[in-house]
Amino acid sequence: MKIYICERTLHSFFTAVYYGFNEQCVITSENNVQLPLGSQTVSVKAESDKAALVQKRICSYDKSAVNDVVTVLRSCDPKKEQVAFEYVRRLVAEKTPVLNAFNFPEVVAFNNILYKINGEVHRIKGLLRFMESAGGAFYAPYSPDNDITELLMPHFAARYGSERFVIHDVKRKIAGIYNGRECILGHMEETEIYISENQTAFERLWKKYYAAVNIKERPHEKQMRGSMPVRYWKFLPEKN
Amino acid sequence: MIEERLLEILTESAKYDVSCSSSGSKRKNTAGGLGNAAASGICHSFTPDGRCISLLKILMSNDCIYDCEYCPNRRSADVRRASITPDQICELVTAFYKRNYIEGLFLSSAVFGSPNKTMELLYQTVLKLRKTYNFNGYIHLKGIPHADEDIILKAAKLADRMSYNIELPSESSLKLLAPQKTKQSLLLPMKTLKQAVDYETGNKMRRSIIPAGQTTQMIIGASPESDGQILKLTEALYRNMNLRRVYYSSYVPVVQSYKLPAVGAGLLREHRLYQADWLIRFYGFNVDEICGENDNLPAEYDPKCAWALRNMHLFPVEVNTAPLETLLRVPGIGAKSAYKITEARRYSKINYENLIKMRVVLKRAKHFITCGGKFYGSDGYANVKTLLLADGSSEVSEQMSMFSDRTTALSALTGDI
Repeated sequence: MKIYICERTLHSFFTAVYYGFNEQCVITSENNVQLPLGSQTVSVKAESDKAALVQKRICSYDKSAVNDVVTVLRSCDPKKEQVAFEYVRRLVAEKTPVLNAFNFPEVVAFNNILYKINGEVHRIKGLLRFMESAGGAFYAPYSPDNDITELLMPHFAARYGSERFVIHDVKRKIAGIYNGRECILGHMEETEIYISENQTAFERLWKKYYAAVNIKERPHEKQMRGSMPVRYWKFLPEKN
Repeated sequence: MIEERLLEILTESAKYDVSCSSSGSKRKNTAGGLGNAAASGICHSFTPDGRCISLLKILMSNDCIYDCEYCPNRRSADVRRASITPDQICELVTAFYKRNYIEGLFLSSAVFGSPNKTMELLYQTVLKLRKTYNFNGYIHLKGIPHADEDIILKAAKLADRMSYNIELPSESSLKLLAPQKTKQSLLLPMKTLKQAVDYETGNKMRRSIIPAGQTTQMIIGASPESDGQILKLTEALYRNMNLRRVYYSSYVPVVQSYKLPAVGAGLLREHRLYQADWLIRFYGFNVDEICGENDNLPAEYDPKCAWALRNMHLFPVEVNTAPLETLLRVPGIGAKSAYKITEARRYSKINYENLIKMRVVLKRAKHFITCGGKFYGSDGYANVKTLLLADGSSEVSEQMSMFSDRTTALSALTGDI
């Protein structure tokens, strides 16, 4: 069996889909895959003409499918390329949108990943915490499960208007920067931030508020942890 | 900047208001402004009582002229009093909002001076927040009973949501426990707001008044009303006042009084009422099916399960052919699962394994459905009843929330955002 090792880009993935479409194969971007006996690895470089062909074919059956695939490829799931690949195969076989065809296991697997990513985006929209820097820009470090920084930018850009902000995925060293007009995505190492003079005071007020709004007589910690998993607490002032 | 002590007092006084949702409004940001509203609502944090923090919930003042028996801020109570200025509130809201702590403001107040004076100050605060601070985030404004209609309507043009709390489920209880509030003083402004909204929608005008509608809240277990009466009232409020939500708050004995019970109502009762409320709004049930006029909801089964056990002659239903409304009535199958089933069966017949893969919860449902004519549950009414009873005992109580994802299409069908 062939194993296509693609790069972590869309074009590279679609190129692998092009080559592997009619054979028994696995597509992955992980370098440490365990090879089954008698398998053969092929590393795939992006070929934009082949990728474009695949994209065009997908679009002819379902206009939003490419976007869904792009989203799924942001997942932290090691099998994401394989899941997306099998979904594309099913789409081409059925020649009609299959996102809601829950009777196919590959569609269910694809939806599960999609659901997790959209869920995390929604959750982080609430749990992201900005701090005001001495220069007046707002800085939010976080470390999400999936690579979602780009998906968060439009949401916060719409809210912040002319304020500048940076959303920093410290695990992947990726930052989304908004300068009051447009968004840029780039590489960013861990940095030291000089906070504004009001920042500590507002953080204290927020902690006070968090403690005061709780009703002690009806404890339900389990529900709190369910809605706000502990792995996100590191960046929440009210939990530190 | 506001003192920590003030914030603490005014938040502790406001925390018994249950409503904290920020959904239902699509307010856009303005040029040079701050914030917008997300239609799905966003929770920003969760407290150890399991409730979400979405809005900055605060009272303008807790210095009240009323003496409602159940209220920790009533005139005769010995508590610390405090009040803050509109500017202090605006500064706090914008600072918290920019740090993404909150989705907006939930502003309420004890009645100080007179109802009109209080309402006027609330209005001035919201006006300042919108116009001077250019804030376009979510604002939930509490209405003050007995305040004049024109101030209410002015305020409604700026807020996303307004609410008048019914407080108690019957007029006689209101008379006993909150003598200065009357049923009329609560229902009249609700009606005024509804008519103003109806006027806009009826004339196809751009919606300017409370885009996220109205809600209300009542205390459960401080007075003797049955669940049936409470649900009847709830249903009437949804029908006649077009409310988006009715909140229930289980009575917590924080105030000592001979007119009030010494023990709380318990969270399970509140939970059951929310379940029944959901059945009314999203599952096409009416109250008479769920609960008799003077009955209480059973503690050991959820209301849908109890209904199904009373109506065993309607089951089992075939998942491949049953219409959506029927699927929604199967215990264990919710809006999401019903949607998945109706979508999946357009492609091919579905079997029991498909349902498992789709993550339809079958623990209860399997006793009430067939897949391709095959039945996977237990035989016999008594058997099913016992099995489901064991299942129900581990349930915890919680305030439910609606999810916003691919079920939106279904929500449109079942009636709410």
